[in-house]
Amino acid sequence: MWNHIEQALHDSMSRVATKIATLLPGVLAFVAALLIFFILAWIFATLVRWLLMALKFDERVGRGTGSIAELSPRHTPTVLVTRLVYWCFVLVGVVIGLSAFEASSAEPGLAAYVLAYVPRIVGAAILLFVGTILARFLSRSMLVTAVNLNLHYARLLATGVKWMVLVLTAAMVLDHLAIAGAIVDLAFGILFGGIVLALALAVGLGSRDLVSRSLEREAIKSSETAHQEERLHHF
Amino acid sequence: MAKTELLPELQRSAREPGPVELVIGVTGSPEMDVLRAKAPACLQGIGAKTIVAYAGDNRMNGYGSSEDNIHFASYAMPHAAGSSAFWIEIGAAQRAVLALAGAWQARACLVIHSDLAALDPDTIRLLTEPVLSGSSDLMMPVYQTGKYDALINKSLLSPFSRALYGRRVKFPLAFDFCAGASALAKLNQSDLKSANNGEPQLLWPVNAVATSGGQIGQAAVGTRHGAQTDSMDLSAVLTELAAALFKEAEACAPFWQRVRGSQPALRYGTSMVPTEDAQPIDCRPMVESFVLGSRNLEEVWRLVLPPATMLELKRLARLDVESFRMPDALWARIVYDFALAFRMRRLSRSHLLGALTPLYLGWVASYAQEVGGATTQEANHKVEELARTYEEQKPYLVSRWRWPLRVS
Repeated sequence: MWNHIEQALHDSMSRVATKIATLLPGVLAFVAALLIFFILAWIFATLVRWLLMALKFDERVGRGTGSIAELSPRHTPTVLVTRLVYWCFVLVGVVIGLSAFEASSAEPGLAAYVLAYVPRIVGAAILLFVGTILARFLSRSMLVTAVNLNLHYARLLATGVKWMVLVLTAAMVLDHLAIAGAIVDLAFGILFGGIVLALALAVGLGSRDLVSRSLEREAIKSSETAHQEERLHHF
Repeated sequence: MAKTELLPELQRSAREPGPVELVIGVTGSPEMDVLRAKAPACLQGIGAKTIVAYAGDNRMNGYGSSEDNIHFASYAMPHAAGSSAFWIEIGAAQRAVLALAGAWQARACLVIHSDLAALDPDTIRLLTEPVLSGSSDLMMPVYQTGKYDALINKSLLSPFSRALYGRRVKFPLAFDFCAGASALAKLNQSDLKSANNGEPQLLWPVNAVATSGGQIGQAAVGTRHGAQTDSMDLSAVLTELAAALFKEAEACAPFWQRVRGSQPALRYGTSMVPTEDAQPIDCRPMVESFVLGSRNLEEVWRLVLPPATMLELKRLARLDVESFRMPDALWARIVYDFALAFRMRRLSRSHLLGALTPLYLGWVASYAQEVGGATTQEANHKVEELARTYEEQKPYLVSRWRWPLRVS
């Protein structure tokens, strides 16, 4: 009996070792391809950066990229192009690494399965990047505008805008990745609907007195300060 | 820059030889009845050919209608590309009339606002005579202002311009001014430079003439233009003007880094002291705006201002309204830090300039409290002190402009 068990364990161990041995060349090929493309990515990104700096790329396109600079002021066009080149090479490295893995490990269909998912990952990464930048930009815009309008809940508004955009982005990313699509749709609908309903109830019922008092105070303050402001001329 | 469009009649006229003594360029569409009624009376003393150019359309008479030596000519109002901003439109019209005067090879060009407030004999004489006599290349007006008037100019435009370009001009961004032939050439040249940049820009005649070493004069005029921008949002006006000022500083950096101190502009005319406004202003709303900004915009201010300034602002935010005073040196350094952040693009420019408004209101509150019981003369001394402080703090700007990472 014990011999049978020992024999079975021995057989399964040898199958695992065989499997690992079969996979190992593929893994090595994948890692080697990835390493080569990381190095290539670094070299090409450096070359592109040097080239763009020599061509004064930032100055040349500066006038046409006002909106990019507004959204992400620290990312110059050169940095954006350089990073794009770098990550394109890395992506190509992953694809080639997967092909090499498949070719040398006799595991059919893996590369095709992963490759089919790559566009979704790229799309989701872009969505996440844009959403994060947009959330920060809109939040700061709201904060500055609300402060200049003398709204005492400026920070609350800015935080609200930021999280609304981030939640929307997260839902879009998950939807794009096809992860728990139905649940995300449902949860997002409930969350957004809930927020709107909560705000409506808060303003309409709970905070009715607070809002009316606040508006009254603003109206009184406006009439009091109108005369003062008439005497001040900024230009 | 918006391209200056000449009507066909005007293009022919621009090629016509013949000396043009003076071009009066109205920056916009004036009331024609008023213009035709007032212009001959105002220009009686000037014997040579004078052209009054105003913005009009093709149905108007173009060049050719003349009364004695005065010719009326219409030009197509240029559209400031992609901008509806008030000052950008004015700047585009000013560039247009200067370009016309350049094309006509005029000896002088008097630029006036379309409300025609400056179209009176005294103002025209004061602004044009020094230019036509050759004693000044550029004449700027000194408008009569009370102590609570022209606050953006007093706190920002005038002292900043004076510190950087070394000319003590009270109103560097005026609706009306007069440029001589040499200044015209310089201004039209600077116009071409800004056109290369592609963005519509304001016209800063003082800076353009100062960079070429021209003679600048200023005349005390009785003109009052009314509140042109009072109905506009303060933050929008401040953003527009500060952006234009900082862009100009960026463009002229090689020049102003070499300028030390300032020289007075030649004065013409007698200053008239406006009616005194001795009643103090309630500064509480402005201080509250400053405190609100201090509480909420710290994350933005921290990207722009060094820790020492942040510390001072926090201290100010804790003061009560009566004892609220913003030191001149602090305000000057804040403006310089914003100019640096604007150049370095530390954050979005719209956010940056929007975050300046509460700080500006803090300065206004402090200034209004200081001059509350003072006369206009005393308030002017206070403004002069601020301008001197800007000059004293200029090494701070120069040093951080050259080595931005050293201090922050």
